[in-house]
Amino acid sequence: MPPIYLGEFEQIVLLAVLRLGEKAYGVPIRAEIESRAGRKVTVGALYATLDRLEAKGLVHSWFADPTAQRGGRSKRYFRLLPAGLEALSGSKAVFDRMWEGLHV
Amino acid sequence: MSEPPKLAEWLLRRLVGGRDSDAVAGDLRETFAARGASRLWYWGQVLSCLAVRVSLYRRRSIPGIGTDFSRAFRRLRRNPGYALTAMVCLALALGVNATLFSFLDSLYFRRLPVPEADRMVTIRRQGGHFCNWQEYFSIRNDLHTVQAAAVLFFSDSMETGSTGFDASIEGVSSNYAQVLRLGTSLGAWFTPGSEADPEPPAIISYRLWKSRFASDPRVIGKRVRIFLNRTFVITGVARPEFVSSMPPIMVDAWIPLRPVSRVALPDLVARMAPGATPAGVKAEMDVISARLRASDPRNEEIASGVLVEPRAGFASGSRKAFFVPVVTLLAAISGMVLLIACVNVANLLLSRATVRQREMAVRQALGASRLRLFRETIAEGLVLAAGGLLLGLVFGYASGRVLGLLLPSLPIAMYRGLNLGIDWRVALFLAGAGGLCAIFFSLPPALANGRRGLHPAMKGADARNSRQREIYPVVQVALSLTLLVATGLLLRALTRVEHIDPGFATDHRLYVHFSGRSDFDRQATPQLYSHLLEQAREVPGVRDATLAWRVFPRPGYGCASPTRRPQTNHVRANSVDPNYFDLMDIPILRGRGFSSADSNTLEVIVNQTLARTWWPHEDPLGQTVWLCSGLAVVAGVARDAKYESLDEDPEPLYYVPRRQDTASDLSLIVRTEGDPRQWLKPILDVAQREGGTLRIYDSGTLNDAIAESLWEARWQASLLGFVGLLAIVLAAIGVYGVVACSVAQRTREIGVRMALGAAPLDVQWMVLAHALRITAIGIAVGLLLSAATVRLLRGFLYGLSPFDPAAFAGASLAWIAIAIVASWYPARRATRVDPVTALNYE
Repeated sequence: MPPIYLGEFEQIVLLAVLRLGEKAYGVPIRAEIESRAGRKVTVGALYATLDRLEAKGLVHSWFADPTAQRGGRSKRYFRLLPAGLEALSGSKAVFDRMWEGLHV
Repeated sequence: MSEPPKLAEWLLRRLVGGRDSDAVAGDLRETFAARGASRLWYWGQVLSCLAVRVSLYRRRSIPGIGTDFSRAFRRLRRNPGYALTAMVCLALALGVNATLFSFLDSLYFRRLPVPEADRMVTIRRQGGHFCNWQEYFSIRNDLHTVQAAAVLFFSDSMETGSTGFDASIEGVSSNYAQVLRLGTSLGAWFTPGSEADPEPPAIISYRLWKSRFASDPRVIGKRVRIFLNRTFVITGVARPEFVSSMPPIMVDAWIPLRPVSRVALPDLVARMAPGATPAGVKAEMDVISARLRASDPRNEEIASGVLVEPRAGFASGSRKAFFVPVVTLLAAISGMVLLIACVNVANLLLSRATVRQREMAVRQALGASRLRLFRETIAEGLVLAAGGLLLGLVFGYASGRVLGLLLPSLPIAMYRGLNLGIDWRVALFLAGAGGLCAIFFSLPPALANGRRGLHPAMKGADARNSRQREIYPVVQVALSLTLLVATGLLLRALTRVEHIDPGFATDHRLYVHFSGRSDFDRQATPQLYSHLLEQAREVPGVRDATLAWRVFPRPGYGCASPTRRPQTNHVRANSVDPNYFDLMDIPILRGRGFSSADSNTLEVIVNQTLARTWWPHEDPLGQTVWLCSGLAVVAGVARDAKYESLDEDPEPLYYVPRRQDTASDLSLIVRTEGDPRQWLKPILDVAQREGGTLRIYDSGTLNDAIAESLWEARWQASLLGFVGLLAIVLAAIGVYGVVACSVAQRTREIGVRMALGAAPLDVQWMVLAHALRITAIGIAVGLLLSAATVRLLRGFLYGLSPFDPAAFAGASLAWIAIAIVASWYPARRATRVDPVTALNYE
């Protein structure tokens, strides 16, 4: 299987999902990205990316039962698939190698 | 907390779709408050979802079941003609089923309209009666598990003022109202002990109160004479919904009876005590039964086991059994009609599937799963079924109402009390039937839509669908032909019975039934009748008049035997005047009629059948007959006639002269000139003026009496005819649909043919031939099916062979005619095809 290259935003989203573990759904993912990366993310951009990652087989999503707090709407949870983990570590390795011996 | 903007939420659903949009909306809602409920922010977020919309990786949303239904609903709304046809077809069939189920329900399952009706039970035996009236009074105080009431149903004359009529009465134990917990519309029910009153109370039915007493509240306190001419005082009017302890039989009055008689009680009506179970009741009743047996060990009647059954529908098992043939027939034909309707809808759905097969193929090619397409079609079927069900309830209600208006005029009392209304049980039954139908008729098109390998469909026609669609009308033709054959058989049987010679003259004859019971006097009453006879002869237009004890269709029975020790005393008998035979055109074949002069010896005249059975190898004339009132000599032999029904086998009967008999009830038979009806009024006037204390019960022409006796047969034939007609209409729609659809599909082909010079007649014939081919196969299958099923009708045919060729041939010819009519319009449309348009047709 050829290596999958990830864009920067994709990497950020995947890392956020990985960091959140069991609690990874829309709201915490955006909060995580906002607090750690300092970037404001629109839902549209986030879900378009997550859909793309899912289509590539890097994450898996499922619906949880609806809750009243959300107006009776269900949450869509995400989990990293092994391929997602592999792609992340592949990207990190590329950056690590590129940074090797450089001091800015 | 303020709500997110509705319009934005709607846009979000449009952009993202499915459950995904739910998840996004949920996320936004969670953070909405934290963002200070900013609408601007919300709108911005929603608009950002355009990215999701245009993304190449957009997840295909998996719509829920709700989407299936809303889509199905929308599709049907876009094709109102198609949807309406399907729903009306279903509704007609379901409406008929509703009424028939309601009929069945009130015969078999409906409980008494009393409080806690589920605690009411019937106590009876497998054979014979439970106990007699006196025994009931001796055991009822010992019962712990139930409170039991005794009911004796009988018909008797009921007299109020100077009018009398035949009434149905329940003579009951005085705890009846207590056991059943009955209320009244007016006054009060009798209470225990009231049977001993010098003038015991009577309760009249709501119906009687309305019809005979014009809903007059002053009816309370009025005196009526019932039951061996005893006087009762009306103390109450029953509630309208309570007709008797064994609905749908309607009772006119209830009276408390004293514990004097030893008459047998077929069953007891009982209410279980709190906590008691049917098994517990049975255990107690077994003990009681053993006690009864011990006191009367030789009585076979009370030997069989006790049964405790919930009281629903007709009380006794034998009455329920009596209706089994009719009910089976009704259930079979209503099931058939429903099946035909389902096939129609399946056919419609399948033709829609054919129209949409390209769309389906494209959707499947674009990745729609087969399950989704399957689900969509099923949803469409369910929506159609729901619509059909609602309409069907309306039809059922309407037909129940119409039949309900007809019921009171029926001559058979049992049917008058039928409740054909729609209640929750009927609705539940219909919902079940409708649901099954929906699955039945939407499965084939659903499978067709979900089928793999749609390459041919994308290119053009699929042969399999159209083949399948031709099977449907074949099934419909076959089923409706079976109903048509059955209707034809019943009608043929009816005309056959109508043409049976009753054995006596019916034209220009009137009858008036009298009763002299209330003031019966051995000397005065016969004189009163003779006087009346003289007066009747004086009426202009009356050619002759006579008196007889019994007139068709009410046979009388007497006590007679050819030997000294009577084996049986139950022989049909009539007591007549000397001119009876002449007036009724019943010839005396041997010997002579009764002489007018008084003779010292008792004389009887026997009919041919009695002469043949009692003296097979001897001359009947001069033979001795042992009547219970003395010896008699046979003076003559009269020709056989019909006495109770036209289809009866020849029955033995003997006549005695009226002056030797002292019957109090007699009928005046009058032979008139011209139309007998015009003389009915003058005769009745004479009867009222000259009849003294005699009461008039019934009057009419003998032709009416004959017609009334055929009522049951007519009723069955017209019911079956109506349902058969409905089946034919539904099946004709089916044939029409298939032919019309095939014409539409073959528009191009027809255009080519016509462009190449085919005459319009050729094209018409092509379409017609298609319809006739389908019909012919249907007829062939239908004839086989009929041959296999008509034997079930044997009991309704008055001796006509179920394989009557005329009925079979008639039904087949009728169907060929129907097929020609059904294909007429599509055939004409085919010839109107413009070749140029047709060649461009796609």
